[in-house]
Amino acid sequence: MSTVARFHALLWGVFSLGGFIAAFFLPILIYINNIAYPLGLWPVTSKDPTRLLVINQTVSTLFVFAAVGGSLFHGIFRLSATLAELGLKKQEAKITALGYAIIAVGLLALGYYLWLLSPNIIPGLAPPWSK
Amino acid sequence: MSTKKTHYPEIPRKNLGPGWWLANRHYTVYMIRELTSFFVTAFSLIYIYQVYRLASNPGTYSQYLDTVRSPAMISFSIVALGFTLFHSVTWFYLIGKIQPIKIGRKKTSPLLALGINTVFLVIISFAVLQLFIVGK
Amino acid sequence: METDTATIRVARYRPEKSEKPYFQEYKVPYRKDTVVLDALNQVKAEQDGTLAYRWSCRMGVCGSCGANVNGVPKLTCATFLHEFKGKSLTIEPLANFPVIKDLVVNIDDFMEKLLKVKPWIIRDKQSPPEEGEYKQSGKELDRYAQFSSCINCLLCYAACPIYGLNEDFLGPAATALAYRYIADSRDQGKKARFPIVHDLEGVWECTLIGECSVVCPKGVDPMLAIQKTKILGAMEAPKTMLSPETLKAILPRGGE
Repeated sequence: MSTVARFHALLWGVFSLGGFIAAFFLPILIYINNIAYPLGLWPVTSKDPTRLLVINQTVSTLFVFAAVGGSLFHGIFRLSATLAELGLKKQEAKITALGYAIIAVGLLALGYYLWLLSPNIIPGLAPPWSK
Repeated sequence: MSTKKTHYPEIPRKNLGPGWWLANRHYTVYMIRELTSFFVTAFSLIYIYQVYRLASNPGTYSQYLDTVRSPAMISFSIVALGFTLFHSVTWFYLIGKIQPIKIGRKKTSPLLALGINTVFLVIISFAVLQLFIVGK
Repeated sequence: METDTATIRVARYRPEKSEKPYFQEYKVPYRKDTVVLDALNQVKAEQDGTLAYRWSCRMGVCGSCGANVNGVPKLTCATFLHEFKGKSLTIEPLANFPVIKDLVVNIDDFMEKLLKVKPWIIRDKQSPPEEGEYKQSGKELDRYAQFSSCINCLLCYAACPIYGLNEDFLGPAATALAYRYIADSRDQGKKARFPIVHDLEGVWECTLIGECSVVCPKGVDPMLAIQKTKILGAMEAPKTMLSPETLKAILPRGGE
């Protein structure tokens, strides 16, 4: 197995895990944050769900990180392959590289901002540049 | 009898064009299944943006919540939820095909795995709601 | 038995006459037990001796009579004419392969891939026959039995869009046969096969369309073999990540 193929095997493992995360965690997050809250559907809340989930919380912040981070990885990995199947096979290497760049920036940003909002997710370590 | 051998040209193999998935129903369902990844990706990025807005400038965050309440965003979210649920169902089904639940030496239908995982999905969703309602 | 007449449309390519492929229609008599291969044999024997197609056993064992019937890869010996009553019936060569003549395709690409996965039992050391056979339990047999039913008919390659998009993809049957040996408790050839099946043009190209398993006439599930092989690859990768060869490839080579 070439080194590149070995990395790909590892990333496929993460993609697979992300598939489970997106399947189990994402629907409820979309529902409470972007459908139930703006439309006032069950379970009604006057405060927006994101604030309830990620400000000074541990378990629910980690849930958000797993749900969104896993889904992002899974979605981009799969979307790159699908775009190649839809006629962009020749551009596949570029699409994949761009995809990994988005994943890296997305995961770092998500982790960092969640840490700012809930510093207690990493006990004893305050985020740098936090107000 | 002549022993001279003539090689005639073959019809070369043609790579499939971008519309191949319209050729049969299985391929089309497959493509819809794969395109769920567009909505999964888009929602993830939008949500990361929301967390960024909340963390970087709580003062202007309420403006972002107006975007969440806009009809366009709600419509997009309903479509995204539909596709995400389609991802869940097809994912559970495929898991049942790849790791079928075995009873003795007999493999069961992937529909059993689909059913059991759907029950898990409901339980997890309720657990998440508890996470978010309890004490708040 | 009742006899009916069907019109079949057959793809023709006769490079010695014309460079252009075309369709030719034949009227063939059929009964309830007539298969597409019988119809082709009837045409060849009584109407048009120039028609070329492959066949041998006419009972779903040899795997040589595959063709695209109304766009779906099928064994012509196992496809009954009466199923198409009132419908048009078009017979074309298997998709995704170069065409040599009429329904005869060039399968060299698959033959090379098949050899690459070493479809035979590999032992570190052969034990002498006096020591007896390599024993296997029923459970161990279950792990690979279905994959050993492959007859290399290549319907799965004709049905696979990934192979249709990328000729370098190792493909369904070759991986199913590789997995047939990987999952065999008597085999010790993982080291030889993993680099082939886990390479970039190997199992990772597959995106679980699953049509290979739908068209397989022998009940083999190549999609399953590919996924099982992927799982093995993902578990193997972290272990081999820190191997000397990998480190050599990643680390800068000083002074060499």
